[in-house]
Amino acid sequence: MPSTHHHIPAGTPALTFAMPVSPPAVGEAKILLPLSVARDAVIDVRALLVHPMDTGFFRDAAGNPIPPYFVNAVTVSYGGQEVARFEWTSGISRDPFVRFPLRASREAPVQVTWKDNNGGVYQQSVDVKFA
Amino acid sequence: MSSDRTSRNADRGASRGGEIPGGTSESGATNVGRRGFLRAGVLAAAGLAFSRPLLGEPANGAALLAGAGTTGHAPRDAMPGTSGPDDEMIDAVRQLLKAKFGDRHIQAGHVQLDIPTDAPDGRAVPAIIDIDLPVTAGSYVAAYYLMVDHNPDICLATYHLTAASGEGPIETRIKMRRTSYVRAIAEMNTGELWSAATKVFVGLNGCG
Repeated sequence: MPSTHHHIPAGTPALTFAMPVSPPAVGEAKILLPLSVARDAVIDVRALLVHPMDTGFFRDAAGNPIPPYFVNAVTVSYGGQEVARFEWTSGISRDPFVRFPLRASREAPVQVTWKDNNGGVYQQSVDVKFA
Repeated sequence: MSSDRTSRNADRGASRGGEIPGGTSESGATNVGRRGFLRAGVLAAAGLAFSRPLLGEPANGAALLAGAGTTGHAPRDAMPGTSGPDDEMIDAVRQLLKAKFGDRHIQAGHVQLDIPTDAPDGRAVPAIIDIDLPVTAGSYVAAYYLMVDHNPDICLATYHLTAASGEGPIETRIKMRRTSYVRAIAEMNTGELWSAATKVFVGLNGCG
């Protein structure tokens, strides 16, 4: 198949890119499971949260210190049972990402709960389905 | 480990399952005196260099370089982040290990810490921790500890797992303040402690 990159017809309107007006909101979360899950297989679960993870050591443009604001506790439950628990500090990068193993023993939801030091609680869940 | 030209390669080799660099054993203690002595020698040489006029006698400069050679340090070892100080496990890490694990022996091996040795941006350094021991219902990883020697929070993440987790890697992205050792410790449910450490050279400070 010929590449279309070099054959833009004349008269094609210029591309305009919609720039994001604001960064994604704090607390938006995603969980990604493998496309197909077999019973009793150990799968990789990927979880991503939008969060600034401020250490408290930086200052903003006006010179004011940015207070610490970070996720410090993550719990993973599978079918209502806690299977993993993570203790974090501000040493985790912004928009914290984690990949962890999970034995897919039954069809049940995986729920991840993030808690930050300002009392924010963020949740996301996804169903494990065998295919 | 701190000998000049091969230091980086030696560190990389050590990270793949040798001893804990600057480790918890007594071998670290015997090196302190020699390394401290070398460091003192380098500082003295630097002091001499600055006490002389800037465009001084070339003969003296040559003598200084020769002197540096006899102490075992090439001149470029004065570059920050390439010489010895980061090779020692600092007291804060020792105290933290003592507080967390008491007198339990931390063995090197079985843990793979997959992390780039050069991290230009310390704000996001990807790290993968894995263990090569078979995971069964009676023997599994109860927790992974991820530590960075020179970060404000040394133990920056703890991952508590259960038998329901199964066997697999933990991946995350961490911040690093400066060049230092990154240590991963796996605590088995039986109480065994396995560890790995890698020296990561950091460009941009990610912690503030």
